[in-house]
Amino acid sequence: MTALLGYHTALLLRSQRWLPPVVLYGALLAVGVGMGDPLLDSLGYAAAALLPVAAWLVRICATQEPYAARHVTATAAGGPVRAQLAVLVTALAAAGLLGAVGTVLTVLLGDARTTDRTAAIPLPGALASGLLAAAVCALTGAALGALCTWPVLTGRGWSLAALSLGALLLLVTAGSPARTAVSALISGSRTGDTPLSLLPLAAAAAVATAAAALSCGLSSRRT
Amino acid sequence: MPRTFHQVGRRYGLRGPWVLHAVGLALSAGTLVRVGGVNGSGKSTLLRLAAGIDTPSAGRIEGRPRTAYVPERFPPALPFTAYGYLTHLGRIHGLSRRTARLRAEHWLDRFGAGAYGDMPLSELSKGTAQKIAVAQALLAEPELLVLDEAWTGLDAEARDALDDAVTERVAGGATVLFVDHDPGRLAGAVTAAYEVSGTSLVPVAQSAPRVRIDAQAPPGTKLPDALPPEATHETDPSGTVRFSVPAAHSDALLRALLTAAGTWHIHRVHPLAARER
Repeated sequence: MTALLGYHTALLLRSQRWLPPVVLYGALLAVGVGMGDPLLDSLGYAAAALLPVAAWLVRICATQEPYAARHVTATAAGGPVRAQLAVLVTALAAAGLLGAVGTVLTVLLGDARTTDRTAAIPLPGALASGLLAAAVCALTGAALGALCTWPVLTGRGWSLAALSLGALLLLVTAGSPARTAVSALISGSRTGDTPLSLLPLAAAAAVATAAAALSCGLSSRRT
Repeated sequence: MPRTFHQVGRRYGLRGPWVLHAVGLALSAGTLVRVGGVNGSGKSTLLRLAAGIDTPSAGRIEGRPRTAYVPERFPPALPFTAYGYLTHLGRIHGLSRRTARLRAEHWLDRFGAGAYGDMPLSELSKGTAQKIAVAQALLAEPELLVLDEAWTGLDAEARDALDDAVTERVAGGATVLFVDHDPGRLAGAVTAAYEVSGTSLVPVAQSAPRVRIDAQAPPGTKLPDALPPEATHETDPSGTVRFSVPAAHSDALLRALLTAAGTWHIHRVHPLAARER
């Protein structure tokens, strides 16, 4: 598995297809996270921005190998299921890394006080809250990405439309783990609590596992 | 355990027509298995099932030998150098980085592509890219090697090198399953031959093993009159006549040449197996 992850990471880095989603994430942070903004608000925004980026990264990793090369890799890996799992893990790891960097930057830039600037917010707690929310959004986004690309959804046009629409819906629909985690941060910014979104994290992990199972399962049936 | 097909069927979509139906096939160790059939008959589907890339819609496939696969056309659209790609693939096959690199060098040399090892894949010609695909499979020393028209696009020397590599793998106890449009490919070495006909896999009676005899006579010498049945011959530029004859008739052909009117020199006699030099 290590060799497969190394291969897909090298493929992602060397192809430079990682650049557009990273630029998108950077741009969203640059627009939404200002120096001295209330910290938990900014962390909520940064986590939300990670969701479409994670989905996009999954789509990139799942489509970067040409057909025949994918067959070669799948055979060498001992089956397409392992190969596809490596694709998903690589993309999730990239999103996680990006989210960690974004969260730390946000903590450094933000004003660690409540929205009305009356109470201080402890930095370690804020960092933990931000990282948890980022993890929830990365997992939810990766699940969305897995469902919106090969082998689950194959047409390019449909894939992009479903991905964008899905990202929007996951951020605004009540009950979505991503929305729950982001809302918790924003209300925490008013009350001064640093929320630990463990329940949304468990939900996001479950959703991501189910999406990965479907994606890997179909990878040996859509050749 | 060798890969074995039990009543395997494959169709695309829930109600699609069957491409393959009730196929049984045992890929035992040390065998060279050829699959024929017209274009679009499902040969590639069968090979993908055997390689484990594809899952049957019906029946089951048992056994998980270490497998390598060579597609018909290998796309060079990957951001690696040839050695870089081969090292990654070798590691995925379970080799150490060092072993993968050494074997990559060995196989590229054998296919006359050693000079291209440090070139980006995207700059390689189609033929050289195909050599990379073949090297990727051979460096893994797989127990099951699946070749989907892997010879297509290779130059003559590389085809011979692949013939040799395949016979070596089979002699070493591996199974090689292949499709090739040239019916004479590895003719003398094939253990079992099948044809995809309709949705089934039917065994094909094998042509008898043949022997090649290279002989030479002074220019203008006529061929002996009484050549054995099914003997074929061609004259190469140096004047050497290459005979190909069923093994059962090789002695008869030699007798005919040695007792003929002209003075025939026999250069070599060898079974027509791996290569046809």
